[in-house]
Amino acid sequence: MAADVCLMVRDVSKRFGDRVAVDGVSFKVHGGEIYGLLGPNGAGKTTLLSMIAGILEPDSGEISIDGLNALNPRTRRRVGYCPQDPIVYDNLTGLENMMFYAGLHGLSGGHVKRRCRELLDQMGLGEYAGRRVKTYSGGMKKRLSFAITLIGDPEILLLDEPTTGMDPRIRRSVWESILRLKEEGKTIILATHYMEEADELSDRVAIMDLGKIVAEGSPEGLKNRYGPKAVIDVELSKPAIEPEAMIEKIKPYASGDGVMYGDGKLRVHVDDPDIVSPRIVSELVRMGVGLKTLKITTPTLEDVFLRLTGRRLIGDDVERH
Amino acid sequence: MMWSAIKAFIVKELKLTFRSKASIFWIIAWPAIWLLMTAYVFVPPAAGQPMTLKVGVVNYDVGSTSPFNGTTFIQILNESEYRGVKLFQVKVYENETLMLEDIRRGRLDGGFTIPEGFGENIIFGQARLKVYVGARSLQSAQIAESILRGFIQGLNNGISMRKVNETLRYIEIYSEKYMPKNLTIPVAGNRSWLDFMRDWMIGLASPINASFRDVKPKAFVERSSILGWQTFGAIGMSLLYSGLIIGSTMAVREKEAGTLRRILASPATSTDMLVGKTLSGLITLGIMSAIIVILGVYPCGAKIIWSPMNPAHWLAIILLVLVSIMVIGIGMILSLIARTAESASNLSVVLGLMLAFIAGIWFPKSWLPTWMRFLADIFPATWAIDGIRSALVYGATAAELMPTFLKVLAAAIISYLIGVFAYKKTLRKYVIA
Repeated sequence: MAADVCLMVRDVSKRFGDRVAVDGVSFKVHGGEIYGLLGPNGAGKTTLLSMIAGILEPDSGEISIDGLNALNPRTRRRVGYCPQDPIVYDNLTGLENMMFYAGLHGLSGGHVKRRCRELLDQMGLGEYAGRRVKTYSGGMKKRLSFAITLIGDPEILLLDEPTTGMDPRIRRSVWESILRLKEEGKTIILATHYMEEADELSDRVAIMDLGKIVAEGSPEGLKNRYGPKAVIDVELSKPAIEPEAMIEKIKPYASGDGVMYGDGKLRVHVDDPDIVSPRIVSELVRMGVGLKTLKITTPTLEDVFLRLTGRRLIGDDVERH
Repeated sequence: MMWSAIKAFIVKELKLTFRSKASIFWIIAWPAIWLLMTAYVFVPPAAGQPMTLKVGVVNYDVGSTSPFNGTTFIQILNESEYRGVKLFQVKVYENETLMLEDIRRGRLDGGFTIPEGFGENIIFGQARLKVYVGARSLQSAQIAESILRGFIQGLNNGISMRKVNETLRYIEIYSEKYMPKNLTIPVAGNRSWLDFMRDWMIGLASPINASFRDVKPKAFVERSSILGWQTFGAIGMSLLYSGLIIGSTMAVREKEAGTLRRILASPATSTDMLVGKTLSGLITLGIMSAIIVILGVYPCGAKIIWSPMNPAHWLAIILLVLVSIMVIGIGMILSLIARTAESASNLSVVLGLMLAFIAGIWFPKSWLPTWMRFLADIFPATWAIDGIRSALVYGATAAELMPTFLKVLAAAIISYLIGVFAYKKTLRKYVIA
């Protein structure tokens, strides 16, 4: 990246009692970049974002935003924090929620209401601006929460799981909003456990597990470096009766230990798909397992996570394979 | 501090408060209910007027030919009035058993049994009369006894005077035969023998001729002043629980709503939140106090004095602000032990009502047991409310109010500072959680 470093996190740790939430994390984010923090729940992403937002103080290490300590209230004017849950006041209207946070950002005067309405319009909430938030759906609340993040026109956006719980259509529209903000020159730190989201949006990704960054780089770079050459996705005609036995039979054809099974779908990391795929099919047929579809695809960040941690991410949980 | 953030907190808190049905209940409905009940049930418009006792009479002196007999006694009972109100509502019974049964059942405040020969005995000696004191309610027992004793005392004096006058009339007629006409008594200032005898016998009948006159402060006898006292009692009670709720839930509500992290991530500081929420709390308590005063004065008829030119009245308003700050501070201290907004609210309501009832804010100190008066004597909120009452109900001057003002000011500063310490500690705890 050619742009200057605008966020620097150096050797930051945070523990709560005996539990280490963040363990010696270091990274730098450049201006105008989308930096993904990818990891399962409990990986330490929210704690890390809370420290960058100045809510929590690190036990050790340093976080600076354009050279200023993150705990300095002046840096908070430049940061917009969007928490994981759509935390808004149900008994206020959408516009009143916006006006409240505008006040907290030091904004006052007649133009503030206009700015709030503009943001609500951008999020598709313009016609609901005067309605109490308790009448909003979950998706509308999430969009309102996202609009609130933008109220102070921050240079750096800290987005904590911004699309969790959204349906695919709304999730896609939020992604578009995030990419539009990047085009406007915003720097975005995106904490997510959705591999696809990190892959699609991030310029660079840090994969977090158990409070540590286990790998960092561009999505493509990570896939090339840590991922298998190809992935075979097999959809079975009916769920396997003995999945563990099936995995053991397929493992010899896989690259590393890269065999996963769940929801009637088998995913195998392979180095030479053209040679291996017919053998996998034969093995499955021999076991009496019916096949519905078979696809040879490129690896994703999920495959990278599996390779690095030995565990698989499914939705909100981590599963061992 | 950032004014726009403080203003944002004030506006947000006021909107949330006045949109919550629970808040409206506690801020307006609850004190209004108490005040209206006080005005129309405990201190009804008829309060202050003499009481009429229900009494029973059993008259065994029915055949008497004496000029004063049992029937005369009943007639006097029926005709006795005080300030234009009949003292007794009389029910005549055939026998004592029936009357006593009704007294025991609380149907009568008292009763009289007039024995046979009552009339003759009054004229020629001493008549016996049985008086029974009952109680239709706990409050009326003492009053009933006082009225009955007072009535008998008055009747005794009246009869004595009549007997003295009658005796003197006979003495005057017959003494001419046996006593020198110009006899004087040297030890009695050489007064005539007849004048001396008159005074001597009147003295025997009634040694002290006491005259009673009501010179009690109006505050204690006028319904409007009693209601003025109670109006500030209602304000004090509401300030206590509402102020405690405002203080104790200041941080925990934001934590439970999930908004605390977002607020702390904004350029606003925790001090902005503290100041904004305290100011909105003071505005809420001010609105609540104004509503209670309006309710007290208009539908209830409370007497509250107000003159913008009187410094004591402004001092009373400042006292109201100080006691609010003090109670919010105590509420913030409570937040150290209350883990949820619900538990903080419940604790605040229980503690607030309890203090209002036992610390001389809602009930006068004189009603409390001696050991409980100690709490009223040391509780700064009681000082403040009593100070406000003394200025706005009883017309105390600014100079008279000043010692109370200084004590409440000190208490408010100390409570709020400890509260701020507790608030900061609570915030740190919540951020880590």
